[in-house]
Amino acid sequence: MSVFSEKLQDKFKHYLARYETRRSAILPILHEIQDEYGWIQPEHIESLEKEYGLAKVHVQEVVSFYSMYRTEKPRPYRIYFCDNIVCTLMGAEKTMEKIRKVMKSYEDKGLESPFSLEGVPCLGVCDGAPAMLVNKERYLRVDSEKVEEILMKYGA
Amino acid sequence: MPAAKHKIVTAFEGIPQSRSLETYLKHGGYQNLKKALSMKPDALVDLVKASGLRGRGGAGFPTGLKWSFIPKDSKERYLVCNNDEGEPGTFKDRYILELSPHMLLEGMIITAYAIQSKKGYVYTRCEFYEEIEWLNQAIDEAYETGYLGENIIGSGFSFNLDHYIGAGAYVCGEETGMLSSLEGKKGYPKLKPPFPAVAGYLGKPTIINNTETLATIPWIIEHGAEAFRKFGTEKSPGTKLFCVSGPVKNPGVFERPLGYPLQKLIYEDAGGLIDGKELKAVIPGGASSPVLNKEDVMTMKLDFESLAGAGSMLGSGAVIVIPHDVNIFDVFKVTADFFHHESCGQCTPCREGTGWIANILQGIEENKGSPADFERIYKIATQLMGRTICALSDAAAMPARGFVNKFRDELNAYIETKRNTR
Repeated sequence: MSVFSEKLQDKFKHYLARYETRRSAILPILHEIQDEYGWIQPEHIESLEKEYGLAKVHVQEVVSFYSMYRTEKPRPYRIYFCDNIVCTLMGAEKTMEKIRKVMKSYEDKGLESPFSLEGVPCLGVCDGAPAMLVNKERYLRVDSEKVEEILMKYGA
Repeated sequence: MPAAKHKIVTAFEGIPQSRSLETYLKHGGYQNLKKALSMKPDALVDLVKASGLRGRGGAGFPTGLKWSFIPKDSKERYLVCNNDEGEPGTFKDRYILELSPHMLLEGMIITAYAIQSKKGYVYTRCEFYEEIEWLNQAIDEAYETGYLGENIIGSGFSFNLDHYIGAGAYVCGEETGMLSSLEGKKGYPKLKPPFPAVAGYLGKPTIINNTETLATIPWIIEHGAEAFRKFGTEKSPGTKLFCVSGPVKNPGVFERPLGYPLQKLIYEDAGGLIDGKELKAVIPGGASSPVLNKEDVMTMKLDFESLAGAGSMLGSGAVIVIPHDVNIFDVFKVTADFFHHESCGQCTPCREGTGWIANILQGIEENKGSPADFERIYKIATQLMGRTICALSDAAAMPARGFVNKFRDELNAYIETKRNTR
């Protein structure tokens, strides 16, 4: 029995046959795993070696190098806030401070925040700075007032 | 293509449903591919050489010349579109995907024919979730209508294209780092020479061009090299996408002829600064380009040679406006932290040097600075240049030296203020 669903296995086979080398399938396969399970778990890496012959060392190399692969169980809503030049100029820090406050309000009640916050390099939408992603959703011109409304949408 | 003044890659600006194949075809889309396929591949290379088109990703290498480096006797060749837009301040390739992904595809298919490549990749950063879908749709449409795949519109030429998605690494925007990533490895850049045109993807001859560069190709086929050279300067022909960001009234992407006045771009096109702010400095070509002070800005022309002459660079055309009420130290620190974070770790000078610079700046911020710190940073930055496999190290060093060069007094004053608060 594979740890992966049948649908996922079909996708893996498709990627493994698609490129000039099987190794090129590692990045797209990891994207699929992360979309399905939220993060890359040790057993996934084990299974990719056992079931598909993708050497653990090759998979681990990719997982650890690229910052968008997660190796820990994520919170439901992951906030990626651009903390690069333009977003900083346009007040990113003030908005991030607000997000931290919202997150802390959960901890104060003894709850785990459904949000995580990570500063990320330029998201390539500097005309809409400050910019952030919540999971895969992009938000532009996020000031400290607007961010509260956005977080409320996610149940804050 | 829709005819509009100074508009090549933004020709579809203001046209409804500009992304759809139907709209693209209605405005003459893929007619240039038809024309190109009736020409000899070498004639296309010569045409692009004659146009003087230079790479729009940042380095400005002549595109036609790059194409001509492919060894004549090689059989398997690859074309890669560098769509990994990640240079801080840059959002122009994203705009092309928003306006007309088919223009990029047409440019790619023409380029593939010119270099006789049968397989290509577009490499896009993963954070462009929406844009990835737009391009996927365009690729599907191009396959369905026979512009991609086998025997393209009955020409006998075949070209297959795959969309490959990155996973968050700035260094993969470096062309050989991108090749490592396409090979399913960590994005370590490769030693050059051999250059990718000789030994690239899987060791095979590979041409890597930026999205904007490739999207320019159909226009050059349609109008010719002379028409292209009517825009821009002798050494920087054509138009360029400029991304204006920061506290300006109208931030966005502007297509303008190269040689365009920077002052005009900021004060007329982008509407000047908001809230009565005054301009202090401008980063003219993305985070890796050295900063310009106000005096430079007022006379600067936006082309490869003018900016290089002023000790900066045109880079990706990302114009970041820094207002008077921002401490230049803060901009410096964000920039230094970024390059430290994105150094891939392969080469010691870059891995360690970017960290040293970031640490010294951190120390200054924590009131531990000394008057010699900025001289030290300048020396370290100088040691970073030209000593590594790829240009990320130089990209970190150049702005560091630029901040010290242009704002030494303000930076030293900042150390003093901080020391006095100890």
